Amino acid sequence: MGGFIDLYTEADTFLHRMDPRVKIVAVLLLSLLAFILSHLYLLLALLTFIFLLLFLARATISRTAFALKFVLRFMVLIIILWPIFDPTGTPVLASLGPIKITEPAVWRGVTSAARVGCLATVWYILMFTTSQRDLVRALVKMGVRFDFGLTLAISLRFLPTFGALIDSIKDAQRARGLELSKGGLLKRSKNYVAVLVPTIVSALRTADTLSLALQSRAYGARADRTYLRDLNMRPSDYVALAVLAAILVLPAFAKFVMQVDI
Amino acid sequence: MKALELNNVRFKYRDFQNWALDSVSLEVEKGEFVTILGCNGSGKSTLCLLTNGLIPHAIQGNLQGSVSVFGNNVGEQPVSQSATKVGIVFQEPESQLFCMSVEEEVAFGPENLAVPREEIKTRVEWALELVGMKGYNNRSPFSLSGGQKQRVAIAAALSMRPEMLVLDEPAYALDPVGRLGLYSVLRDLKEKHGMTVILAERDAEEALAFSDRFVLMKDGKLLESGPPRQVLRDPAKLREIGVAPPQVTEVASLLNTRMGTSKFSFLTVEEAERAILEEVLKPKKEGRR
Ligand SMILES: Nc1ncnc2c1ncn2[C@@H]1O[C@H](COP(=O)(O)OP(=O)(O)OP(=O)(O)O)[C@@H](O)[C@H]1O
Ligand SMILES: [Mg+2]
Repeated sequence: MGGFIDLYTEADTFLHRMDPRVKIVAVLLLSLLAFILSHLYLLLALLTFIFLLLFLARATISRTAFALKFVLRFMVLIIILWPIFDPTGTPVLASLGPIKITEPAVWRGVTSAARVGCLATVWYILMFTTSQRDLVRALVKMGVRFDFGLTLAISLRFLPTFGALIDSIKDAQRARGLELSKGGLLKRSKNYVAVLVPTIVSALRTADTLSLALQSRAYGARADRTYLRDLNMRPSDYVALAVLAAILVLPAFAKFVMQVDI
Repeated sequence: MKALELNNVRFKYRDFQNWALDSVSLEVEKGEFVTILGCNGSGKSTLCLLTNGLIPHAIQGNLQGSVSVFGNNVGEQPVSQSATKVGIVFQEPESQLFCMSVEEEVAFGPENLAVPREEIKTRVEWALELVGMKGYNNRSPFSLSGGQKQRVAIAAALSMRPEMLVLDEPAYALDPVGRLGLYSVLRDLKEKHGMTVILAERDAEEALAFSDRFVLMKDGKLLESGPPRQVLRDPAKLREIGVAPPQVTEVASLLNTRMGTSKFSFLTVEEAERAILEEVLKPKKEGRR
């Protein structure tokens, strides 16, 4: 349960050690880069670079494939559907009634899929190398309000709890003879109400106690709250930031100022 | 100055008819360990929620009378301020821990109070050591056992350096081993740290050994208050409020009835053994009755 939601895996690599703020900036910059680049070979180069990072973060192929399996399916779907819905360009490779498959459309589909692959993998690296608490801490340090950070942290923290809760309620209802995987869609969704209602009631009760617990621990007592954990940029973090800036600035400059087609 | 002073307190939850607490007056001295006994719905939790001002600040209803903690009226100051004097541990271990690591959990209170970072570190280590959870700093609270969760909740309250700790049926969801660990922490708090403790319980057995006072509650009313030995002299009182009397005191009361005396009163197995041996080995001067 926890493994599914929390992708973080403890290891001691330079990506794990990197300041989470730098990683967040890096992910944003690389995502932006994936949008700027429009040539397939450049996107594939970017993808290779991202996979190199993944390798350096010691992510195993099987875990990555598992975490990204929905993305992979989505990419295949893009490659298949894009040419069907985009009839522009020549030469035409095949046609069937109103549907025309053209060669540029096929490449555009592959390009888009590569872009999606870049985006997903780069975010996966962030989640894989950064613990949830560091992520939230970084967001707050970058100016996100503490209440929002806390809300995010609490949501992440309680996901597995509610997951376990749903499982146990399902078991309890099954033990009373509820069939959750039989019948048509309508019947099944009706049966799921018997799981949903107790879950919601229990979640609300938890939220009630939670709010009492927060207040009992002096939540909101002072505006100048301190933090046990500090984030400190080390020299290597600045280097990483500089490298990233260069990776983005060069292509951006080429594309928008020098009007080079990339 | 009393640690806690309830003066003729009545409380009714919003939209409800019954008084959840009815004319309750109670004084708790500094350093006292008070166990509040009562069955379902007797008003224990309501009383606990009053001690740091969650009633009336977070929970609406009709409140009469006054509640003060170390001389301050909790109705007149925000909960976050009362929280620096009173730490609370709730019944449910699951929903009072909300951080992603044990360390953050324990640091949360002092962080809110803007305690300097170095001091927080010291307090976290101190509190975790006290509850026997040293070294669990980076574990997720979700991954702990119920007993460990409750001990972390205690540490999270202690790190604010409160003068009083209020625990609402902390052992409710725990297995026997978890209970044992929890009560040994409570005993330490009293014996080594002189903490003022208010413990709500449905069961008299475990708190017996280290409570200075038992308070019996029923239907929102405070029926009796006194040292355990005095309150337990008549086990019927406990049964009347729906609490099972500890087995040793049952033995004492049975012996008293059988032998027509009232001299037996023991709270521990050791005391019982000594008293019974004495009785058995005593040379019989008078004839059998
Ligand atoms: N949130 C609430 N809203 C309305 N009524 C409540 C609420 N909480 C408690 N009560 C009522 O107040 C009375 C006292 O309840 P309280 O929870 O204080 O008892 P308790 O001794 O803690 O019981 P338990 O052993 O079940 O925890 C009961 O009649 C209960 O139904
Ligand atoms: Mg209760």
